[in-house]
Amino acid sequence: MLGELVNIFIAAVLCWLLFIVVDVAFGLPEKGGVSGADAIASSVDRAGGDLNGGSMMGNIVCSPDASAGTLLAACGVYAAGVGGGLTAAVLVFIGNRICHDPGYAGTTGAVLATFMVYGLGMAGITAAECIAGMVIAILTIQGISHVQASRLLGKFWGWRT
Amino acid sequence: MMEYIIAIFGIIALIGAFTTYLRTSPFDKLIGVAIMTGGVIPFVVIKGYLDVAIVIALVVPVTTIFMLQASRRGMR
Amino acid sequence: MIPVLVCAGIGLYAACRVVLEPETPRKLLYLSVLNFAVAGSIVLLVPDIMALFAAAAYFVGSTLESNAIASTWAGGVKRT
Repeated sequence: MLGELVNIFIAAVLCWLLFIVVDVAFGLPEKGGVSGADAIASSVDRAGGDLNGGSMMGNIVCSPDASAGTLLAACGVYAAGVGGGLTAAVLVFIGNRICHDPGYAGTTGAVLATFMVYGLGMAGITAAECIAGMVIAILTIQGISHVQASRLLGKFWGWRT
Repeated sequence: MMEYIIAIFGIIALIGAFTTYLRTSPFDKLIGVAIMTGGVIPFVVIKGYLDVAIVIALVVPVTTIFMLQASRRGMR
Repeated sequence: MIPVLVCAGIGLYAACRVVLEPETPRKLLYLSVLNFAVAGSIVLLVPDIMALFAAAAYFVGSTLESNAIASTWAGGVKRT
């Protein structure tokens, strides 16, 4: 019981680092990919947040990017092993094409997350705990406080440029 | 343990239904329908009808897009 | 059973935050948390390869729905 909760916390930290690094490396906070992402970014900006961080949050809403890739790859490893994770990468690629998203952040994140979840499975953290950890990770970005989260993402984007 | 999970998803579906009923803006009504769909799909999945779940998940967004096309002309 | 309870509880929290948020574009941010939680719990409830396709279909469909609502809120899809 307690060990399972500790495993979920460790998986949440690792998944958070993975999808933030992949998203910032692919330049998602630079601008909104579609017009809806710009609307969300300006709304977060009016509330007192950071514009670049708001753009990244809008991109997460409007197209399947590295966070969706991480979640679906963990689901695939839980259902069918490594082959399931690569199948999830193909599905994320199709979803990117459906949503008019030019980036390849989702597919790259899914492939990386497949191997990360498989390695964690050897280390004793199961794929089910990785799924719960990914849900907690997305909750900390989009669900607690938009202003603080967008300032944090804007700081990461400032380090990259 | 399973009955708690069923109760939680039932509460989510009820929240979606009531917010669809109470809000007046068409965008807020469509967001309420999205919450209600998210609460209903796990009920279909628990019984094992995965093909029905896929069909629901693909039909509801198309319906939302049609409703947006219809409601935009009156709004603006 | 603990991961399913975590996913379902986060979904309930996200649904409450969507109802309490007054501004429409920021409702969509909380709605994406609900989508993640439901897609995760679909696979956790039925461990099958078909459940992976169901979760991916639900996730892509709800993302497309959020995209359409946000684009229409921003003033319509650009017609070229």
